[in-house]
Amino acid sequence: MFPTPIQKSARWAQIGYKLLLPMALVLWLLPLIGVAVTSVRPAGDLAAGNYFGIPSSFAGVENYTAVFQNSPIGWYILNSFKVTIPTVIGAVALSCLTGFALAVYNFRANLLLFFMFIAGNFIPFQILMVPVRDMTLKAGMYDTTFGLVLFHVAFQTGFCTLFMRNFIKGLPFALIEAARVEGVSEWKIFTRIVLPLMRPAIAALSVLVFTFIWNDYFWATVLVQGQHAMPVTAGLYALNGQWVAAWHLVSAGSIIAALPPVLMFFLMQRHFIAGLTLGATKG
Amino acid sequence: MADVTLRGIRKQYGNVTVVKDLDLEVKDGEFCVFVGPSGCGKSTLLRMIAGLEEITAGALSIGGQDMTRVGPSERGVAMVFQSYALYPHMSVAENIGFGLKMTGHPKAEVAARTDKAAKMLQLEPLLKRKPGQLSGGQRQRVAIGRAIVRDPEVFLFDEPLSNLDAALRVQMRAELSGLHQELKATMIYVTHDQVEAMTMADKIVVLSSGHIEQVGSPLELYHRPANLFVAGFIGSPKMNFLKVDVRVEGEAALVTLPGGSRLSLPTEGKPISDGEMTLGIRPEHTDLITGGDAQVQASVKLAEHLGSETIFFVTLADGSEITVKADGLATQKAGDVLALGLSAKACHLFDTDGRAVINGDLTR
Ligand SMILES: Nc1ncnc2c1ncn2[C@@H]1O[C@H](COP(=O)(O)OP(=O)(O)OP(=O)(O)O)[C@@H](O)[C@H]1O
Ligand SMILES: [Mg+2]
Repeated sequence: MFPTPIQKSARWAQIGYKLLLPMALVLWLLPLIGVAVTSVRPAGDLAAGNYFGIPSSFAGVENYTAVFQNSPIGWYILNSFKVTIPTVIGAVALSCLTGFALAVYNFRANLLLFFMFIAGNFIPFQILMVPVRDMTLKAGMYDTTFGLVLFHVAFQTGFCTLFMRNFIKGLPFALIEAARVEGVSEWKIFTRIVLPLMRPAIAALSVLVFTFIWNDYFWATVLVQGQHAMPVTAGLYALNGQWVAAWHLVSAGSIIAALPPVLMFFLMQRHFIAGLTLGATKG
Repeated sequence: MADVTLRGIRKQYGNVTVVKDLDLEVKDGEFCVFVGPSGCGKSTLLRMIAGLEEITAGALSIGGQDMTRVGPSERGVAMVFQSYALYPHMSVAENIGFGLKMTGHPKAEVAARTDKAAKMLQLEPLLKRKPGQLSGGQRQRVAIGRAIVRDPEVFLFDEPLSNLDAALRVQMRAELSGLHQELKATMIYVTHDQVEAMTMADKIVVLSSGHIEQVGSPLELYHRPANLFVAGFIGSPKMNFLKVDVRVEGEAALVTLPGGSRLSLPTEGKPISDGEMTLGIRPEHTDLITGGDAQVQASVKLAEHLGSETIFFVTLADGSEITVKADGLATQKAGDVLALGLSAKACHLFDTDGRAVINGDLTR
């Protein structure tokens, strides 16, 4: 068997493995641990030069309440949700439809269209900066969450379609044919047969898109200027300027901003189920 | 009335023709079986009847109505797929009732018809299970249940038993035959198993590379194969073929057998020309006793004693090998020499194009 299970390897390898693995893990997580520890450090520690040591006292409650009280981070987070949730819903819903169409129907330009969706992913988005900004300005959507959502949906749908189309292609096509012979309409085939079987794909894609959009900084700064529509990524950056020396607050803000994608993952986790099509075919 | 009529049906993929201008009539209530080797176009033909595959040319009508360009959902046929194609996220009951529910039948009616179909197929204890929790035979029955619940006039089956073990196959075969008698619907059944074809069919359609070799009842095909292909395909073990010299004298075709003995077959007035031909005789029609109309000497290469019967693989004087099916009590072993008696009534003669010129029909 490859790789050889660690239980079967030599003794020194087992000991080395047990020692190195936690070390590598800690090393890997060091920046995150650093931020987490700093976020509960009292301001005095930083002034006294205790940057990496044990915090002199636990100031988590003060720091986190301070972040919410002294800054519009609550507002930023709300903005982030206002951008991320509609984008996830829009991109996933749209790509379920496009993916279904591309996977199930054999029209002439099918492959061409599919390649266009894929090709869209290869465009470096930086070169789109100026035209997209101009376009949103002219459309009157500059500096609005709606404009940001619209752009994100358009840009995410390419990858999502690729993902969904390939997932649906992997479902047994005979299921669709069986339903057709039974007289079921195409829309009902989509909603009653294909959609339920896409649950794992929808969950995975939702988490992926959610994380991606939540963490987006580039477009948040390009398409948004004012506080009223600014998502948390860009907002944190603005706070950096405000709290030049208040690292404990910046850290606390960062931790808050990083939580929603993690929560999203755990929320969706139970839908990542394998073997949903078990029993559909002879197997 | 739901007869299925195919007129000049053709299927092309690009410039590959997989079904060639095929004419066929399946009568109302008939159990028609398509057989043929793998890749001959059986599934394609069935799928064209179901509407899942576009018909390149020709006309298809079901129950007298033209269905050539009608979508699968409007043809009113039910199909059982080789792979079952059960909806994995639905229970057995939901699987069976799904089509009815989606086509707007009231809830009570769906439930009643589902129960009736489940009872017919003995699926009642399984109604709450998901397909993943069923055995192959049970899944098969659900797939059939999904077809019969709609009470269609035409059933299409694509090798429904090919995933089952031998015992279950025999059982399901009988159940399907029973179902046909009960429902009296038109059934078209694809298989490459000739035993299935022989046991279930009213009518067998033998296909090879996209065209019909012969259409007929099971015994017609067995006793009067129209060509070498059908002769070799129907019957197990396969019919023996011998290259022979034929000379026609009056009303008789004189066949020179390996080893020199002569066999005289009645020409029944058919114009037959002299020359090399192929003589066909089934393993079960060659006798170990020195009776018959002609004898040949054969040495046993291999003997399979199966208890109920004995299969001998023997070599004739000219080196050609044939199979002989004999009584289960036969004691000969490899190396023994046998005398085989051939009966003229059981012999078939095929010309160089493979067409049957003489069919020795044992039923007459
Ligand atoms: N999409 C396609 N493009 C080109 N050729 C195809 C296509 N689908 C099927 N064929 C060809 O059509 C022929 C008939 O296929 P079909 O599936 O009807 O065979 P079959 O008789 O059902 O065989 P089996 O017993 O193995 O199921 C095959 O030679 C196959 O290669
Ligand atoms: Mg097939």
